[in-house]
Amino acid sequence: MEKLHYKFETKNPIQKPVHIGVVASGDLEVIFRPTDSDETVVSIVTGSDGFKEVWQNVLDRFFARYPIQANIEINDFGSTPGVVNLRLTQAMEALKDEK
Amino acid sequence: MKNSFVELHARERAEALLDDNARELVGPLDNMISPHLEPQGIVPESDDGVVLMRGTINGKNALVISIEGKFQGGGIGEVSGAKIVAALEKALEDNKAGKTIYPVIVLDTGGVRLQEANYGLLSISEIHNAVIALKKYVPVIGLVPGRVGSFGGMSITASILSYLIATKKARIALNGPEVIEQEAGVREFDSSDKDLIWNTLGTKQRLATGLVDEVVDDTVDDIKKSVSDAIDAKKDAHRTEHVDFYLSLLDQLDPSKKLDIEGYRKLYPEVKAEKHVIADAVEGTEPGTKSRGRLWFEKLTGIKNAKSSVSTVLHAEKDGKEYVAIVPDADNKFPRVRDGEVGLEEGFAVASIVNKVVADDADKDVKRPVIMVVDVPSQAYGYQEELIGIHVALGSSAAAYAKARQAGHPVIAFIPGDAVSGGFLAHGLQSNRLIALDDTSITIQAMSKASAARITQRTIAELEEATKHVPAMAYDIDNYEKLGALYKLVKGIGSYEATDENVAKINSIIDEAIQSTVGKPTDLHFRYETPIAVESGRKATNAIRKAVFEQWNA
Repeated sequence: MEKLHYKFETKNPIQKPVHIGVVASGDLEVIFRPTDSDETVVSIVTGSDGFKEVWQNVLDRFFARYPIQANIEINDFGSTPGVVNLRLTQAMEALKDEK
Repeated sequence: MKNSFVELHARERAEALLDDNARELVGPLDNMISPHLEPQGIVPESDDGVVLMRGTINGKNALVISIEGKFQGGGIGEVSGAKIVAALEKALEDNKAGKTIYPVIVLDTGGVRLQEANYGLLSISEIHNAVIALKKYVPVIGLVPGRVGSFGGMSITASILSYLIATKKARIALNGPEVIEQEAGVREFDSSDKDLIWNTLGTKQRLATGLVDEVVDDTVDDIKKSVSDAIDAKKDAHRTEHVDFYLSLLDQLDPSKKLDIEGYRKLYPEVKAEKHVIADAVEGTEPGTKSRGRLWFEKLTGIKNAKSSVSTVLHAEKDGKEYVAIVPDADNKFPRVRDGEVGLEEGFAVASIVNKVVADDADKDVKRPVIMVVDVPSQAYGYQEELIGIHVALGSSAAAYAKARQAGHPVIAFIPGDAVSGGFLAHGLQSNRLIALDDTSITIQAMSKASAARITQRTIAELEEATKHVPAMAYDIDNYEKLGALYKLVKGIGSYEATDENVAKINSIIDEAIQSTVGKPTDLHFRYETPIAVESGRKATNAIRKAVFEQWNA
């Protein structure tokens, strides 16, 4: 298990919290929470050690496309970068959901 | 597969069962994660693998408790267990107040989360208590969709539920085949033989032998309809009340021949339930197989070389108190209980004894105290035990003790020996006061180190390292005390030191414990309220309970 932290300069504050995913084998859960801070903090707990750079790349790409301002927590159980990106994108969709 | 229920995750399953008005209690945004996983290097989950939702099922008020089988095998730890218990207790409160609400539990669980071992056992016993209490008001419907199924302590829960619905993708058993192979050898149960496993533990066989009530196709619509119909018809299989049937079945069994699936299918419908009354233990001429449990039972009741019609189950009344012990018998006809394990006969015999105590005292104002002498190294690990349904045997005794306590009998567990796993759930954990000797020989746990290491895919060295960080993982009584569940840890008396003076001391502690229950609730809340529990042992439990209570009504 490894804990990772990243910070991003972003500009679009989110208005509500969302949760997506399950900590299943090869999967992860993602939580976005609104923040008052002017930077986005991503806190990751992952079961697969040694992928700090890969996470950096996945997150760089995500925030380049969606520069949201939020507190983000991720609990990961060995998902691939594709799955990580999918769950983050699903969380974006949940943000738009009116329900 | 189109519209599959099994393929859904726990949250989606709860939503699928409820009408379009589901409201989640203590969800992932409430930040209630297990404090015990990260210190062991395990990734936690924000809902700890249990989803609680309120809403309606075809218009009827319902609470759905859905366990996520994909997170840590659906194992029950402190937080996930406390969520289930708190929600069930609120449902009980509402039903008592005339606000009918139907609980439905979606079981997809390996049982105790071995990484939180003793918390899992405590929590599961508390679930059993709440279910038994609720069944007086409403049926508590169980659904076992698969893929995990319902194993371990949660198979005991499955046996206690009013009505059990399953799909063909589920299995139900107390001990998983890997654990039986680890404990009893590959000739007892070959865990690589998938056909044997499914034909034994799969729901087709379970339906044919009364361990499951209904097998449904794996579609959301079929499953919701079955659950809704079960609620409407208030279905109840009374599964843990067929004690005489099972004791009669065991009478007819020849344990020297290995019972197989077809043999059992043939035997099961032929069994006629005959009334069994297990008489009080009497003095014998030969000493029974030595154990801490036997020693203390004999000293506390004054019966020398105690013997009984069921050689492994001793009970007797002394000074108005009913003592019950499960003891080893080196020559028992069932090989898997010879070291004092709780097997089929033990579970059903204890249930028979305790049910009789409750029935005899039904009209009395003051109910007889029931004292369990606990020295159970585990449940029995055997093939025929699983084929017949040892989880029902253990469920029957757990239910009997819970009913006794809820009827007003002080139920006290005195632990001079081991208190392990399903054995402890069946005989010990339904007590409202736990008294233990402070002796290093006592093991108190959910699974042996070898099996726990195999199932959690860790080495024994890693397992032992983890016990240093998480007291609930430990195997000794001093760490157990840190959980706050004990009424008293008795110092200075060894497990085998049953001198007259020590027996008198234990007797007076038992009497104090009985006195401490007078006028107090008949539930298991004592465990959350001791100073140790409040300060540290059940801190997470108490926080979860508060959160569920606050969110119960929108």
